[in-house]
Amino acid sequence: MEVILLKITAILYLVAAVSYVFYVAFRNANSRIPAVALGAGFTVHSAALAAHFLREGYPAVTQLSDALSFKSWLMIAAYLVIQLKYSVNVLGCIVTPLAFLMSLAGFAFGSQGAEVPPALKTFWLPLHVTLASLGNAVFALAFAVSLMYLAQERRLKHKKVTALMKRLPSLESLDRLNSVLLFWGFPFMTLGIITGSIWAGIHWGDYWSWDPRQITSGLAWLFYGALLHGRVTAGLRGRKAALLTVFGFVVVLGYFLWGDALFPSRHGGRFD
Amino acid sequence: MDKQVIIVGLNHRSAPIAVRESVAFDGTEMRRGLRELRAAAAAVEESVILSTCNRVEVVAAAADAESAGRELREFLAEHRDREADEPLEQHLYEYRGPDAARHLFRVASSLDSMVVGEPQILGQLKEAYRVARESGTVGTVLHRLFHRCFFVAKRVRTETAIASRAVSISSVAVDLAKRIFDRFDDKTVMLIGAGKMGRLMALHLQRHGVKSLMVTNRTFEGAVDLASHIHGSPIRFEDFPQYLKLADLVIGCAGAPAVLVDAPMVEKVLRERKQQAMFFIDIGDRRNFDPRINGIDNVYLYNIDDLKAVAEENLQERSAEAEKAEQIVQEEVESFDRWLRSLERAPTIAALHHKFEQIRCRELEKSLSGALRELSDRERQALDRMTSAMIKKMLHGPISRLKAGRQDDEDLLYVAALRRLFDLDPKE
Repeated sequence: MEVILLKITAILYLVAAVSYVFYVAFRNANSRIPAVALGAGFTVHSAALAAHFLREGYPAVTQLSDALSFKSWLMIAAYLVIQLKYSVNVLGCIVTPLAFLMSLAGFAFGSQGAEVPPALKTFWLPLHVTLASLGNAVFALAFAVSLMYLAQERRLKHKKVTALMKRLPSLESLDRLNSVLLFWGFPFMTLGIITGSIWAGIHWGDYWSWDPRQITSGLAWLFYGALLHGRVTAGLRGRKAALLTVFGFVVVLGYFLWGDALFPSRHGGRFD
Repeated sequence: MDKQVIIVGLNHRSAPIAVRESVAFDGTEMRRGLRELRAAAAAVEESVILSTCNRVEVVAAAADAESAGRELREFLAEHRDREADEPLEQHLYEYRGPDAARHLFRVASSLDSMVVGEPQILGQLKEAYRVARESGTVGTVLHRLFHRCFFVAKRVRTETAIASRAVSISSVAVDLAKRIFDRFDDKTVMLIGAGKMGRLMALHLQRHGVKSLMVTNRTFEGAVDLASHIHGSPIRFEDFPQYLKLADLVIGCAGAPAVLVDAPMVEKVLRERKQQAMFFIDIGDRRNFDPRINGIDNVYLYNIDDLKAVAEENLQERSAEAEKAEQIVQEEVESFDRWLRSLERAPTIAALHHKFEQIRCRELEKSLSGALRELSDRERQALDRMTSAMIKKMLHGPISRLKAGRQDDEDLLYVAALRRLFDLDPKE
């Protein structure tokens, strides 16, 4: 049942992604098709996650494929909020392909990861996972916004005026959006790390055990913290801020996908 | 010789802005210019002066095109600012006959504009025509020519998509500024120099919401004067680097050969304003901003050539439409030319002769083969001579009047009337 719903979701995300790209590439393309496809995909996706939650009693997050799916759901949710508030259609052009690839990767990776020991299945599980993933999802949007900024900036610098430029928001609004997203993503990330640490403290005995996962989360937190600090105090903005946002997200995403294989962590599978 | 259209002038392609500005006619100068032209130029019979920031042209009608062309050149050179020393001759172009009509039609439909499709030129043409008509320098030929050119412009606008994405240099710059800035009402513009283009761009930005405008000029009086015209605050020239950090958009139009803002200066300013983006527009014919400014993060520099290139790109998209427009212009040139040629005297006289001769022969033939069948050869010859002489006598008045006329407007009217009354125009 869930698998079928997730497959439908992936297809709808694909439709949305393709039509968003069309929308950006062609002046007269329809802007309603992608919005409708994305809305439908998000609804089906929500239904799949709800079905899992009702059956298991905790969100589908313990396996890599589930986690990817959950993250893409949060990302789309965050995008829809941003879209309502700032109306940046073009962002969909990056977010929906990303969501589609994440669902595809979910199927590809299958069910990696171990069962969560019953002892860990407390309310800390959904709390920690949701907060941390929400932080990542918001950073994913900041990443997309930064890519748009870099594309727009490059064209302006090289004086290549294209139709795409008219579709993209102004540099000023993209930069502001990047700032807003960092501002919202950082507290979620912080809370994700704190709840994770408390949860570890309760079940494993110590709050901070220099586990690779904890170290990298800490580093990412420092990185984003420095970025936010630079923005607020030192006038770090524009191209440099966009490049750093892209860099940060690529590293975090890479670590999420392959980190546990490179640096075995008790977080990623060995819940001993 | 018969009247033809003749245009002498210079535009954005043939002359740099400094030369164009030195020849330009301001509002009041135009009437005086038309009066002077009428007084000084004997060969020029009708005239309209068109003066915009991109072109100065005199459209005239004259029978002696050779002399008229020379007189128009002299007139423009005479009118020119005294301080300008570069010879004007090399920047002037001259069109005659159908080429002149084509040129004016292309100007009116904005095919000859710096930015093809911009709509202002038609209004400027209408104004030039109105002033000339009030000054009494428009006659039959230019009257017809201008009415045709307004009609052509209308046809081009409605039948092609050329105007649909019209962009002037100013609107290209505003468009680019919109890619950088989200809104203009919280932005500050600094205008350096008093060039016309810079002033236009400042006004354009104000129309798009800019509220705060600083103006500086080499002389402080110039800055105060300019500021009062465009509702800005004047700044002393030596102080402008200090105020630069307040400016989000900087327009350079000083016309000075010197680089006024260099890269290290902008880097310093940018640190002071915490890397907030700046847009430099170098719009004068001389570079006022160091090109390396564009290499600095969060700073964008466009000069007049860049803006033209952007406008040009829009233009290329419209090349198919431009072809359609040229087609319309061609049709109208032919139609105008047909009309003008119909006013020529020699063909009219010939046609009149031919028409009467035709009637005479037909009627004579009818009678001689009918009621007057019995007439002898001698009598027939006498009849032939008599009708021939009659026609000649009848036509003598009008034809000698046509031949003697100096082809003023009254004569042209007679020609037109004759052609109409006797149905002399070949059927199309």
